[in-house]
Amino acid sequence: MSAPVIFDPMTLPSDDNVNAYTFCVELKGGEWFLQKGKMIAYYGRIEFNGIGHGRFERLLRTSFHSPLHASDWVVAQGSGKMLLADRAFDVNSYDLEDGNLTIRSGNLLAYQPTLALKQSIVPGFLTLIGTGKFVAASNGPVVFMEPPIRVDPQALVGWADCPSPCHHYDHGYMTGVLGGLRSLTGLGGTSGEEHQFEFVGAGTVLLQSTEMLMAEQATGAVPHEPGVPGGGAGVPGSGHAGQGAAPRLPGQLGDLQRRFGL
Amino acid sequence: MLAVDMSGDSVKAKNGSMVAYDGQMAFKKMSGGGEGLRGMVTRRLTGEQMTVMEVRGQGTCYFADRASEINLVSLHGDKLYVEASNLLCTDAGLRTGTTFTGLRGGATGNGLFTTTVEGMGQAAIMSDGPAVILRVTPQYPLSVDPGAYIAHQGNLQQHFQAGVTFRTLIGEGGGEAFQIRFEGDGLVYVQPSERNTIGGDV
Repeated sequence: MSAPVIFDPMTLPSDDNVNAYTFCVELKGGEWFLQKGKMIAYYGRIEFNGIGHGRFERLLRTSFHSPLHASDWVVAQGSGKMLLADRAFDVNSYDLEDGNLTIRSGNLLAYQPTLALKQSIVPGFLTLIGTGKFVAASNGPVVFMEPPIRVDPQALVGWADCPSPCHHYDHGYMTGVLGGLRSLTGLGGTSGEEHQFEFVGAGTVLLQSTEMLMAEQATGAVPHEPGVPGGGAGVPGSGHAGQGAAPRLPGQLGDLQRRFGL
Repeated sequence: MLAVDMSGDSVKAKNGSMVAYDGQMAFKKMSGGGEGLRGMVTRRLTGEQMTVMEVRGQGTCYFADRASEINLVSLHGDKLYVEASNLLCTDAGLRTGTTFTGLRGGATGNGLFTTTVEGMGQAAIMSDGPAVILRVTPQYPLSVDPGAYIAHQGNLQQHFQAGVTFRTLIGEGGGEAFQIRFEGDGLVYVQPSERNTIGGDV
């Protein structure tokens, strides 16, 4: 084993990875948004303040549009170098240039205030818009893929430049009473891969090389409005049966009944 | 995984951490971490317990524990402070002991005491993910999250730093309310992961 590398404020990289699991951010009087509790060490004078801090009102107006996540994010302010890490997962930084990227909310560690954070209309995902750098964690290295592609829901980290994400179910899973019964009961065996996310269009899809998810950050509930996905009951009386609190998956009894014409 | 080549000499390792060996090895449990009766009593009192075995023999012995990352530290007469749970293996020539850490332990949940290793030789410490070694000099003090701290060596003073304000109490805290501040001259080892600490969520 080679001699261990010892870092000091001079040799620590600026806005780059220290190793695959640790990222170093240099602050020069500026600000960074970071997820609560991801800072592991810092040199210099850096203050951490909750999003609710009054002084940040202007900053928030331009770059934080997710009131539901406010309690999970803090603003680091000051000058010095700070190290970020998350549960010994791989961390990587990405540059956006006047672009957009949507990412699973638990995977985003930190971002520059030149980016604007918005909540994606896909529940549990966040969208970053603008120019700047952000840091994301993934369990295992990230793989970049071009659409059209179908991915496993658990392996999806995020996507950039607007491919259109949609659900895809394997054909056999959808057809016939037997198919429904099989997925309902597990009898006859299921591969566990009948359901995928499908991406078409131009852009990039980011995957992690494991199906173990990062713990979901509490993303709060989306406002109860008609037309908001996951936002609860639709318009009353619109004829959508079973659109209650839990979304009805194909293969559940509702579908069987419909197949029997009930 | 740590491979130790031995020719008749011995190392002290965490009990049960051997995963394989070739050659001739003898394993002997050392009660009280080989620190004698006094060490045993101190450890019992401070709660900084570790069960240690002595491995002696000819050949190569492999140590590992819960797939955690292993970092080798060379000591030349200086002192390494490490949490007992993070210490995997030391040369037999190194002395281990217990010391009071001050207020820090209260927030890390590791107790108020820590293990010291001193002498000449090598020690292996464990971390969740490869440790980052940070140098502290008088001009550049370092603040560390208690959950990410694993060890330090050299002539360092540590202060417990609390940024608890009324905002913390109303749930608007910065998430980094507790830090250990190291000043002086030495090295600090941090891991890219945070243990669950009492101070972790405020």
